[in-house]
Amino acid sequence: MKLLTFVKEALEGRKLATAGAIWLLIIVVAGIAAPLIAPFDPLEIDPIARLSEPGTPYLFGTDHFGRDTFSRAVYGARMALIIGIGSVMVALLCGGLVGMLSGYFTGLGHVLMRMVDVLMAFPALLLALVLMTVLERSVFNTILVIGIVYATTTARILFGMMLKLKNEVFIDAARCSGAGHLSLLFRHILPNLLSPILVQATFIFAFAQLQAAALDFLGLGLPPEVPSWGNMLAEERIYITRAPWLLIFPGVLIILSVFSMNLLGDALRDRIDPRFKDDIAGV
Amino acid sequence: MIAYTFKRLLTLVPTLLAASVLVFLFIHLIPGDPAAILLGDTATPEEILALTRELGLDRPLWQQYVLWFKNVLSGDLGRSLFFDTPVLQVIADGAETSILLALLTMFWIVILGIPIGIVSASYKGTWIDQVTSGFAMLFASIPTFWLGLYLILIFSVGLGWLPSSGFPSVSDEGGWTNMRYLILPSLTLAAPNAALIIRLVRSSMLDVSREDHVRTARSKGLHPARVAIKHVFRNALIAVAAAFGFTFAALISEAVVTETVFSLPGIGRLVVQSILRRDYPVIQGVILIIVVLYMFVNLLVDLAYAWLDPRVSLS
Amino acid sequence: MNRDTRWKAIYAVVALCLAVSTANAATTLRYATVGEPPSLDQHVVTSDLATTIAHHMFEGLYTFNAANAPVPLLAASDSMSDDGKVITITLRDDVTFHNGQAMTSADVIASLQRWGEFGSRGGLLFGNVSGIEATGDHEITINLSEPFGPWKNLLAFINGGPAIYPASIMEGATKEPLKPEDYIGTGPYQFTEWQPNRHVELSRFDAYASPEGEADGYAGERKAEFDSLKFFPVPDVGTRVAGLQAGDYDYAESIPGDLYASLDADSNVSTILNGGPIFGLVFMNSKEGPLKENFALRRAIQTAIDKTPALQVAIGPEGLWKANGSFLPEGNVWFNDSGVDNFSRGDAEAAKAMAAEAGYTGDPIKFMVSTNYPFHYDSAIVYTKQLAQAGFNVDLQVYDWATLIEKRAQPDQWDLFFTHHGFVPDPILISVMNDNYPGWWTTEEKAALKAKFTASSDPAERQAIWGEIQALIYEQVPTMKTGDVYTYNIASPELQGLGDATLIWPHFWNVSK
Repeated sequence: MKLLTFVKEALEGRKLATAGAIWLLIIVVAGIAAPLIAPFDPLEIDPIARLSEPGTPYLFGTDHFGRDTFSRAVYGARMALIIGIGSVMVALLCGGLVGMLSGYFTGLGHVLMRMVDVLMAFPALLLALVLMTVLERSVFNTILVIGIVYATTTARILFGMMLKLKNEVFIDAARCSGAGHLSLLFRHILPNLLSPILVQATFIFAFAQLQAAALDFLGLGLPPEVPSWGNMLAEERIYITRAPWLLIFPGVLIILSVFSMNLLGDALRDRIDPRFKDDIAGV
Repeated sequence: MIAYTFKRLLTLVPTLLAASVLVFLFIHLIPGDPAAILLGDTATPEEILALTRELGLDRPLWQQYVLWFKNVLSGDLGRSLFFDTPVLQVIADGAETSILLALLTMFWIVILGIPIGIVSASYKGTWIDQVTSGFAMLFASIPTFWLGLYLILIFSVGLGWLPSSGFPSVSDEGGWTNMRYLILPSLTLAAPNAALIIRLVRSSMLDVSREDHVRTARSKGLHPARVAIKHVFRNALIAVAAAFGFTFAALISEAVVTETVFSLPGIGRLVVQSILRRDYPVIQGVILIIVVLYMFVNLLVDLAYAWLDPRVSLS
Repeated sequence: MNRDTRWKAIYAVVALCLAVSTANAATTLRYATVGEPPSLDQHVVTSDLATTIAHHMFEGLYTFNAANAPVPLLAASDSMSDDGKVITITLRDDVTFHNGQAMTSADVIASLQRWGEFGSRGGLLFGNVSGIEATGDHEITINLSEPFGPWKNLLAFINGGPAIYPASIMEGATKEPLKPEDYIGTGPYQFTEWQPNRHVELSRFDAYASPEGEADGYAGERKAEFDSLKFFPVPDVGTRVAGLQAGDYDYAESIPGDLYASLDADSNVSTILNGGPIFGLVFMNSKEGPLKENFALRRAIQTAIDKTPALQVAIGPEGLWKANGSFLPEGNVWFNDSGVDNFSRGDAEAAKAMAAEAGYTGDPIKFMVSTNYPFHYDSAIVYTKQLAQAGFNVDLQVYDWATLIEKRAQPDQWDLFFTHHGFVPDPILISVMNDNYPGWWTTEEKAALKAKFTASSDPAERQAIWGEIQALIYEQVPTMKTGDVYTYNIASPELQGLGDATLIWPHFWNVSK
């Protein structure tokens, strides 16, 4: 509830960011209610109707299988949510935990953060590519790999924030009143970090979309039969002049969604504790 | 300063060692028998056994690592299975493209990103600021391959201004005029990265402009833009220097996609093609070199930062 | 240098560069390939891409004319003994290698021996060769243990075939591909350089002695009009098309069917159809799994599939594909309709009944396909749907090509896999005829027919036997043909002399700009 008020306050007077938030709301609804909204089965093949222009009954036209692009785009929204939320969860669970613990227990932190440094030495997309080479193409692995890539950034950011917070007076006070490590970490410190974490999660969500699309394009991301915006672009890219709608619709959907997420992140960032502002890795 | 440099170099050693272990483990993480995979489906069991011995895969893992690391130190990264030439040479062939592409991209980022950042900060809160920041963020939201495909369509196929793909070496016929092949790819790469620099320039300018000497200059009635350029920019540059480390590394990595779209003979496409060809020694070699490069670039940036700005503590 | 002279120097360099590049552009052919070839050594490499480049510099004793009949190239003439077991080939005496040496029978013998022992397709012929010797400076004799009909086709097929290299290069050569510095042949172009991921460059061989006669397919006169040929790897098909339209390439290969109409209408692009179609093949595992020896179940699968929708989806415009069940296309001497009734029935109900009768109880059938070739993947998606409708439990496994190649060698990993086959002039070269090809079709019936097929050298008899083999393929279903695909390439309209269609691989002798 507190986070919701925080978002509401952040969006006040920022028209573009508000528009972005509304767009994201639409994507969320479309993703959840995909089977109700999509007029066709996104995998249904119809050789007769292939490469139909946008119109009725195919709002966004059809691809070279004769599949309905609009239905695929709607299911693509669902996949975008799965990828985004999944990657954020992996990044926060692995990276967030490592960062917080490292900042709190300095001895352990020294070791853990060195390990993070090592992973940080691998550029993001390269690390993702290499991990995907070793693993098989699947939704789960794609989420895992993108999550791991951003876990390192997340760990470093939370580590920095933790260092700033843990010597605050109110923490000392809690400590003196006999609070244990767990209680200190999760009852006293974490609530203060929730809004910066939300901001960071927003940016990770946006990055994850672009990374996933890049992996799809290189043929190393989601399995090709999964209807995702990245796969739609990758699979139909030769039709850029022959059937332009096949590149324009999914492309614009990715751009709008990532743009909205970035705008939202930017708006939220302006509202958080100024001490944490520079820690956030985002656009 | 020298002591600081030395100390930083020392801390690099354990990180490098750990990274090298990860890179080494790469081939061992591949499911299945690497020797069988390397030889392909026509190999006989004897050949597989021989290669297993040759690669030392029958020895304990730590011995393999030591052996491999020794070879790496002496500059031997193994041989490419596809080209049948030393991995180092294959990588060196791609280095020209990658480095020139990264430099040209940096050039665009600087000449576009810094002025826009300054303008944006000078007119903070006005519509100019909003429009520039908005556009920067929009460009950071475009998938690079999508942008690349449309740039080719517009500027190569449609207008015929620039070549669509490939990159002949600058030492071949054409010389430096061959750089025109890199204009579209570098713009594609610059688009998302410029946003980061714009925001950095903008926010560091705003930070600096709160400082005393800038306020003094402004109170003397100097035009805001002039104040910005004269006083603020020099200080803001320091922060920007730090950002370049990240950008440069990002360029190497993101270039994978751009080099694929534009068929550039760089290291990024080499990685992708090697993955598709299962040329594991090349993949391993490229990762190692990029990781080492990445670390040194970051070190250099940190040092430059420390040197430029005496306020940075050297502890 | 002061400022002024420095600028002058730069202008001079730029002007020179421009002059050089424009002077050169007129006589360099720039070809956008689908990728980097593995090696150009024709003996051991069967990649079509490698041959497209290499057949400009390596030549064999024979080649094909426009009717796909083998005709002499480095050979001058030949004769055969009455029992069909001794072949005597006279060589041309005017042929020079790129290293300046004259070609003699010693070079030919060394090349044939290396190809026979290590070459990709050498075993097919050399399994029947009992001896080969030089019987003169420009004459060789091949002794066969049995009469062997397809010998001339095999000597003429340069892909994985017997290119003639100098004896000195052949010394110690094994199945390892030759190194680029050893690329010495007799062709109209010679090897210049290979910059990995950048280009392969060939340049005109000035001492080339062309065979005589009017150009006919690959036969007849070969004139190198270009100073050099440059082959650029451009894996992304969109980039190949854009690059040709933008004038960065003169020729680009392997273009998707759906772009045909718009490219054909574009006055800046000419389209060149390939005369010989390629065809998809779905192999079935004869060694392990549910399909092993269960021919009835295989026929049930074959019955479930309607090939036409897959071709529509995967290729696009009619005219670029043909739902043809004969392994070789109409108009070809090997065309016949034995067994083709079962080519594309698409009858789910009949298939269901047949499968039940064959004892199928819903075991998963592993179907491997690669995304590297979009038409494989597209077709497989359609087949999977059709098979599901007929009650088959298909487990579609999508891999990249390298993984698929690796997995198909392991009999326990798959039941079906999708691949394609290039046009070949003799059915003996079709992969399913090879007992060791993944799928491992080695039934007695096949062995008997194959022996008869290779022993005969009477064209009419061989055609009849091939009909029997094709009927057997539709009965035992070691593989399913998916239909003919006419691929096409695109070229700059400035290129002169390309002809209307490509025989097998595009060639650029007798072509100019």
